[in-house]
Formats: sequence, structure tokens, C-alpha cells
Amino acid sequence: MELDLVIQIWLASLFTIWIYSIAFRDNDFFKFAEYTFVGAAAGHSLVYGVDNLRRYGWDNLMGGAYLYIVVFLLGILLYSRYHPQYFWVSRYPLSIMVGIGIGLSMRAVVTAEFIAQIKSTAGIKLIGVSDPITLLSNLIFIILVVTTVYFFLFTFPKSHEGGLSIIPRIARYGMMAAFSYSFANTVLSRYNMIFGRLDYIYNQWLPLPGAIIALPVALILLIYAMLPPEKRPWPKKQ
Amino acid sequence: MSGQGKSIWDTLGDIPREVLYGVLLVVFVIPMIYPLGLPVPISANVLKWYKAVEDLPPGAVVMIDFGYSGGGEPELGPMAVAVYHHMLRRGDIKVICMSTSIEGPQLWDKAMAELRPEQRYGAVYGVDYINIGYIAGGETAMAAVGKDLRATTSTDYKGTPLDQYSIMDGIVDAHSFDLLICYTTGGDQSEGWVRQWYTVYGTPYMCSVLAMMVPTMLPYMNAGQIISVTSGAQAGEMEGLVHVPARGIKSADVITLTHMLCVVYVVIGNVAYIAKKFQGGSK
Repeated sequence: MELDLVIQIWLASLFTIWIYSIAFRDNDFFKFAEYTFVGAAAGHSLVYGVDNLRRYGWDNLMGGAYLYIVVFLLGILLYSRYHPQYFWVSRYPLSIMVGIGIGLSMRAVVTAEFIAQIKSTAGIKLIGVSDPITLLSNLIFIILVVTTVYFFLFTFPKSHEGGLSIIPRIARYGMMAAFSYSFANTVLSRYNMIFGRLDYIYNQWLPLPGAIIALPVALILLIYAMLPPEKRPWPKKQ
Repeated sequence: MSGQGKSIWDTLGDIPREVLYGVLLVVFVIPMIYPLGLPVPISANVLKWYKAVEDLPPGAVVMIDFGYSGGGEPELGPMAVAVYHHMLRRGDIKVICMSTSIEGPQLWDKAMAELRPEQRYGAVYGVDYINIGYIAGGETAMAAVGKDLRATTSTDYKGTPLDQYSIMDGIVDAHSFDLLICYTTGGDQSEGWVRQWYTVYGTPYMCSVLAMMVPTMLPYMNAGQIISVTSGAQAGEMEGLVHVPARGIKSADVITLTHMLCVVYVVIGNVAYIAKKFQGGSK
């Protein structure tokens, strides 16, 4: 195995252990790993930022697309926000960016997120469905769509009172069930991530020479770092 | 309760997190060392995904967005690799990859190191597959690539001009692609592709997202805007279908046992809560 890959696996494994140690208690190894990650991520973004300038801006400008001068100027104007007197100038490039973003989203958002969804919901059938499970599922779906839309009618306070209060209550149960589904899926995601890292340590790092000795050493040092200073066996406080 | 000893319900309701995480860690590690080989049934959405790739015509061109970050790699990486296996094994599909995530190109390299397309399938970079790299701008990038790919980027992720690769012959815009696949840890990307490619150009679209994002994406699938939505956690199912067992299948035992432990934790917490309430009420 190449040396750079070996170093990469050692660092990745140790940083994984240090980062996950926060689950047990805060310690200096975790802080070191956290700060290193933040620094590395910032450096990575900076390098990519410069590369993007070259790839999408400078190369095109040098290729004869002189309109890119406007783009560069707008980009530079963004930094005027750090000047106490001329910070307002940065609002112009920012407004162009926001305008383009909203324009791009809006050209499809009505079709993609309103019409298609409403059509899909309106197309749910209750009559002519032979499978009882599908029929029940469709019925629950329709009830929950109607009640949940009703739940958010805040303009008429009386619509949530008296006998009508059953409607928002049904909606609340439905939404709680949906949130539970999301939360259960979140647990699944997190467990998958932990498994991925543990699998990496077990299958990539531990087979390397010295790793099987380094693991208990790293764990002992971690436990030591988690202890409050007055409980540490060494160095003894004067 | 002041002045009294802690009851069993107090203890159960207040288990230190170090103990909970410690037990969880043990449950994670044991099946990794001694696999149980629990079955991995194939779900309808994974089957739909598999069928969509299988039904692609010979010579089809697929666009893949490696839009996930390093944190999501353990979940989405195995799925991305399994789907690549499926497409490259067919041998008549061309795969063009881009990234809407800044970490995408590095994660693509990692996936290729695991996949080894040259050695395993005889696939050639630039002929059968390519990576055009990270394209900044999120949804703006999706729209730009869909409108004119060459105007957006003229090089691959290594900086080599796209004209030097035969795979790029005839690739102009979103209409040049038969299928769009997105692996992402961000809702902006998975939903952005619906808005910028499916809605505008009608490009068939599938996405694999973090499990926690699946409920958000399911309405798009129900409305027919996405062929199939899967979570990266279903990678084991895809590996089973393409007969390349890897990380996804290995996680099945661990995920099952840890979820059972999670249910046990919830039961213990609720029993302790109800018992304490009952004790308090009876006084």
C-alpha cells in the first residue's frame, strides 16, 4: 500500500474516534479534531473558490468573452460590504444574485411543486379500488390532506373550536405520525453513518501494521482526556 | 422524592448517556465481528430503480450528480458504487458525472477506487464514463448544464478539455441524457433537479438521498416526477440485485440490531416514565 494512503487511513481513523468521543464526554482530542476539520473545510472551500474563478470566469475572459468583466466587477463589489461607508454598494450584486436565483426557481416551482402535487392528490381514487389495503391507504391520505390543510386556516379562530376541533386534532395526529417517520429515518441515517465509520476503522485501519496496538493506546488517552483534571492519576496537582 | 433513595424507575429513567452510547457501541461492534447474515428483502422502490436502469436502451447516456458531502458518504457511497456496478456491467451505457457538492469530485474518486471500472469491467475513462467535476451555483448550475453543458464547463474535473473525450460527442444539453440520477445530502439538490431538469426538459429522474430526506421526496415520486426515491441505507438491497455484496449488505445486521436496541431504549424510557407517574399519582 502506498505511504500517502496509509497516512490518510491513520488520520481518518484517529479523527473518527476523536470526533465520536463527544458522545461520551467533551475532551481535548475532540476539540482538536473539530478545529482541524473546520480549518480543513475552510481551506478546501477557498481552494475550490479560486479554482471556480479560474474555471468559470478567468478562462472565459481570456478566451474572448469580455462580458465576464461585468461578472468580475459585480463579484468585487460584493466585498464593499466590509467598508463602513460604501457597504450599500454590495446590495446591487446581491440583488442580481437573488433575482437570478428566484427567477430560475420560479420558472418551474409552480408546475413542480403546486400543480403536479395537487394533480397527484386529486387523482387518488376511492371508487373502483379492489385492494382493501390500497383503499384504506387512499382514504387515510385524503382525510389527512384535507384535515392538515384545515389545520392551517388561522384566519377564522372559531373553526378550531367546539365540534370542529376534531378536524385539527386529526391533522395533529397525522402530522405527528409524519414527523415520527422522519425522525425514525433520521436515526437510520445516523446509524448508517456510524456503521460506515466503524466499518472503515475495522476493515481499513486495524489490518494495518501497528494499528491494533495504537487503538487501545488512543482509547486510554481519550479516557484520560475525559477525566476532570483533579481526578487524573497523573500529573498530581500540587 | 427528596430525602428518599432513588427508585428503580428513577434509575431507569435517568440512565447516563455514557452507558447508553457504550451499549450501543457494543451492539454495533459485535455483528461486525460475528456477522449474523440476516436477510435483506428487496423493496419496491429499489426494484423500480433497478428496472429503470435495466430498461435503458443500448447507447443510453446517464447524468449522475455526486451531490453528497463527506458526512453522507457512509450512507450514500455504497449506493452510488452499486448503481455504477449495474451500469458499467451492462457495458452499453455511458455515464457522465458532475457534482453540485464541493466535495463531490473527491468522493467520486473514492467510489472509483472501490469500483475499479478499468480492471473489473474494462471500462475506459473518457469513453464509457467521465467526471466533469464540481460546478458551482447549486440550482443555477443545474439550469446552466441543462441548457448548454459546454458553455458551463469546457473541461473535466482534471482540467482536460472535454473535446478530447469521445464520450462527450453529441452531448449538448439536458435532451442529450436518457436518465438523471442524483445522490445528495441536500434537499436543494434533490428538489432542484425536479425543477430544473424534469419539469423543464422532462428528463427521467431518480434520486438516492439520506434516509431522513425520503419523506420530503416521496410526494415527488407519487406525482410521477421522480421514477424512484431510495435512501442510501437501502444500498444492501441494490448490492443484492447487482450481485456485488459490499458495505451495504454488511450494514444490514448492524442496522437491524441497533434499531432493536433503540426500540428497547424507548420502551425502557416510557415504562419508567409511566411507572413514576403511577407512583406519584397513588400517593
